[in-house]
Amino acid sequence: MNGVNDPPLFIKDIKPGLKNLNVVFIVLEIGRVTKTKDGHEVRSCKVADKTGSITISVWDEIGSLIQPGDIIRLTRGYASMWKGCLTLYTGRGGELQKIGEFCMVYSEVPNFSEPNPDYRGQQNKG
Amino acid sequence: MELQKGKGTAAAAASGAAGGGGGGAGAGAPGGGRLLLSTSLDAKDELEEVGFFLILTFQVCKGPPQHEEICLGLFTLVLTEPAQAQKCYRDLALVSRDGMNIVLNKINQILMEKYLKLQDTCRTQLVWLVRELVKSGVLGADGVCMTFMKQIAGGDVTAKNIWLAESVLDILTEQREWVLKSSILIAMAVYTYLRLIVDHHGTAQLQALRQKEVDFCISLLRERFMECLMIGRDLVRLLQNVARIPEFELLWKDIIHNPQALSPQFTGILQLLQSRTSRKFLACRLTPDMETKLLFMTSRVRFGQQKRYQDWFQRQYLSTPDSQSLRCDLIRYICGVVHPSNEVLSSDILPRWAIIGWLLTTCTSNVAASNAKLALFYDWLFFSPDKDSIMNIEPAILVMHHSMKPHPAITATLLDFMCRIIPNFYPPLEGHVRQGVFSSLNHIVEKRVLAHLAPLFDNPKLDKELRAMLREKFPEFCSSPSPPVEVKIEEPVSMEMDNHMSDKDESCYDNAEAAFSDDEEDLNSKGKKREFRFHPIKETVVEEPVDITPYLDQLDESLRDKVLQLQKGSDTEAQCEVMQEIVDQVLEEDFDSEQLSVLASCLQELFKAHFRGEVLPEEITEDGHKAHATPEAPWESLPNLCQMQEDNSSFSLLLDLLSELYQKQPKIGYHLLYYLRASKAAAGKMNLYESFAQATQLGDLHTCLMMDMKACQEDDVRLLCHLTPSIYTEFPDETLRSGELLNMIVAVIDSAQLQELVCHVMMGNLVMFRKDSVLNILIQSLDWETFEQYCAWQLFLAHNIPLETIIPILQHLKYKEHPEALSCLLLQLRREKPSEEMVKMVLSRPCHPDDQFTTSILRHWCMKHDELLAEHIKSLLIKNNSLPRKRQSLRSSSSKLAQLTLEQILEHLDNLRLNLTNTKQNFFSQTPILQALQHVQASCDEAHKMKFSDLFSLAEEYEDSSTKPPKSRRKAALSSPRSRKNATQPPNAEEESGSSSASEEEDTKPKPTKRKRKGSSAVGSDSD
Repeated sequence: MNGVNDPPLFIKDIKPGLKNLNVVFIVLEIGRVTKTKDGHEVRSCKVADKTGSITISVWDEIGSLIQPGDIIRLTRGYASMWKGCLTLYTGRGGELQKIGEFCMVYSEVPNFSEPNPDYRGQQNKG
Repeated sequence: MELQKGKGTAAAAASGAAGGGGGGAGAGAPGGGRLLLSTSLDAKDELEEVGFFLILTFQVCKGPPQHEEICLGLFTLVLTEPAQAQKCYRDLALVSRDGMNIVLNKINQILMEKYLKLQDTCRTQLVWLVRELVKSGVLGADGVCMTFMKQIAGGDVTAKNIWLAESVLDILTEQREWVLKSSILIAMAVYTYLRLIVDHHGTAQLQALRQKEVDFCISLLRERFMECLMIGRDLVRLLQNVARIPEFELLWKDIIHNPQALSPQFTGILQLLQSRTSRKFLACRLTPDMETKLLFMTSRVRFGQQKRYQDWFQRQYLSTPDSQSLRCDLIRYICGVVHPSNEVLSSDILPRWAIIGWLLTTCTSNVAASNAKLALFYDWLFFSPDKDSIMNIEPAILVMHHSMKPHPAITATLLDFMCRIIPNFYPPLEGHVRQGVFSSLNHIVEKRVLAHLAPLFDNPKLDKELRAMLREKFPEFCSSPSPPVEVKIEEPVSMEMDNHMSDKDESCYDNAEAAFSDDEEDLNSKGKKREFRFHPIKETVVEEPVDITPYLDQLDESLRDKVLQLQKGSDTEAQCEVMQEIVDQVLEEDFDSEQLSVLASCLQELFKAHFRGEVLPEEITEDGHKAHATPEAPWESLPNLCQMQEDNSSFSLLLDLLSELYQKQPKIGYHLLYYLRASKAAAGKMNLYESFAQATQLGDLHTCLMMDMKACQEDDVRLLCHLTPSIYTEFPDETLRSGELLNMIVAVIDSAQLQELVCHVMMGNLVMFRKDSVLNILIQSLDWETFEQYCAWQLFLAHNIPLETIIPILQHLKYKEHPEALSCLLLQLRREKPSEEMVKMVLSRPCHPDDQFTTSILRHWCMKHDELLAEHIKSLLIKNNSLPRKRQSLRSSSSKLAQLTLEQILEHLDNLRLNLTNTKQNFFSQTPILQALQHVQASCDEAHKMKFSDLFSLAEEYEDSSTKPPKSRRKAALSSPRSRKNATQPPNAEEESGSSSASEEEDTKPKPTKRKRKGSSAVGSDSD
């Protein structure tokens, strides 16, 4: 199991189906709020580290606290495909913690949440 | 860990003892303690007080850790329990045995790092505590006041910020007598509040605050003008902004007409304008948070990546109308304080001029814009090459130079400002200002910030009037033949214009001119590119007189005398003697170890100059040892250190002294490394560094070594190279696995230094890579700059590590992103005999029409090792010949890197086949290949048979060959598919169209299944 003290995973190494992810990123954009049928607020935020960017789906009130420029540590997250795009989630027992702001170097490209021909290709063949 | 626990319990103990626990009969009574039962009615019992005090005193006497715990415990109570604050502070004052030093340090730390997060009560309490500290005249309280003033944000009139400005001002006004004792505090307070006055206007509350600020500043300026003079020319800038306020109007009259009335030594405004503003004042108007963020942008963010950081900074600090005044502070800070190292200057880090350009273009008010321009040029006006730094004037010229293309309006407005400020800044000093601007421009050309100014001053993008004005003001910087050239350009333009329209419209004229002169401009910019090479500049440091008086008072008399002697001593030898005496005294048995920190502060101040220069002598003797020991006096203590037994208590005392020094002067770390490397006395004692590292607050060798090497890298690249061999030799466990260290080195060395290191490696003096870690380090290097990567590879190649060790790196290499590593690896692979593992790795690369790595190396091996390669390929084809297996591998490939699939091998082979078609190479006629192809074809599905029909057709012929004469057939086989296709298309085009149609198929065909899979996989991971 990944603990808080494990070195964080780089965004480039996040693959669909991975669990127990420990990732540190900086928030670039916060998408509009959508509501699920059972009333949860969901925000899609674009986040990045030095290896690239990815979309994280943030649920409920913690999403309203996040600001662009926040440096956040995700513990026990998981990644899966959502509408054809690789997306990061906070898993059960996982959390988001703001550990700083602004002072983190990131690279916006590659965006690993862009519809990815590799994954599509694989699913086609399968 | 233990320390943490200790603090907690101490705070709890103090809280309990102080009666903060609440509950019980005494809860309401301020003096309620735990010795006696008391109600709010009972008079305070002396015994209770004394008892508690004794407990504390007893604890404090146990030793420094307990003392620190108690102090911090009481400090915490002061901040969090307003009701107990008075009493806790009194106890704190009584039990503190270090003149409140621990508490002062903690306050400074909280202010610098945590103030923004502090709760309102704590902020109020902190102000209260500082007021008490000031009232008691605690030494060092002036420092805390200055840190406090730094928290007051410029351009921010929110209630909390106004409250802070007012609270600190109240302390300073109430304790004016105390303020007058510290000249630096006087200057800093005047600078701070002069600046803040500008923000405070509008409401009655702000107006009242402003009046207090005005009174405060005026009184200090009038009574202590000499102290205020130390600010430098920015004092004038601030006074200009408040000149309309009646009190300042009067002051201005005196400054101009009657300077001696302010101070007998004050000769007039020129004196002030000619002195460069000390960095501490420019820095004091930025809050720590602003400073951190700006420094981050100028040291870590790459040029081109700054957009979001700028947006965030703007959102936080520059979004309101009130915040416009902050721009000037930021610009002055960037010009005067942010002076990047040469390495940063020559890297792709966001340059200072780009930030200035951003600050200028986002200005929303005219007043702010013109103040911003003045701030940018302020050091130009009275520039003197001897006293001022090129770094202060460089941003203005570069922002003009670089804005010419994208924002010509910015360049124009700045050039216009530069011309107009000469007569308008202050007419009586017009001559001086002209001289200042001239020297600036001269210095810029001399230092080759820009090689020529003509392309800037006489640029067709600027309008005619401006160019005329520039020519008139600065004829020597405009190219001499420009007038006739210009006539030539303009005449045909105006004729053309006449054809198009009756009367000349100003804007159209400008457009036409710009369009017409594009060619010329392109020439110019090409020329510029060649000329414009950035020459980083070493700043000349102006020696500021050393002030150690605050520390001296805290030293023992005998020690104080020696330190004073040291300060006065002029020649190194005498200084060394005194230093030796000081060390002897430290080693004496009755030396009070609490003086170490103060002593370290003195030494640090006195030896500041030693840490500015480079330590490495120009010529190094053959063995790299210096003929004589370094003249840095602090190191004279080290022979002692080297001769000592490590368990000796004096040894650890000296280490403590070093560690104290290190805290104040981190450069000591690498100086020590150099000393241990260079001094004969210290020969073979490199492990001393380890003891040193453990004695520092960092507490561990690795961190300490990395920090020191980093500091050395920033200060002195030659020394870094010089130290590299011994560092790697002496500390292999820390260095050989550290990509960080390698990057530090390759980030700054030049080719000559690289060559030097390569030779060291080959001569056996230096080992930088080991089999077990080299792969990891090379993988890390993939993110580095091109030259850095090449250096890493060169250094790797200098070692004798088999290439097999690092072949797995191929899985990480993408053809677009990692060209450096790919070409290095390719050139190395060609010297190797292919092993099956190598071939497998090479074939595992994903196929992409532009990625020719695999084809290149396969072709090379075909030429040199065709039989071996054929065997390997056969074996790989047969091993991977199962399409169902491919499905499984696809699943797992999501977690693993490049997986070898049959399709991939075939595709690579097909590429190789196409590449070999025009050669005489008959690789594909070898039996193993044909057998394998045949074998594979048999189990292939129709789609693949189609796709690789040309490849398989080679094998079909082979099948037939069992009955027919093989040789002639085989030849025909090689040519037949080619000739068939060649009739319609050249091989390359065919290849491409084939692959693109294949991908289209993938896009369109099997969507339904895809959705199913996705759905199920998402559910699967959700449920986990």
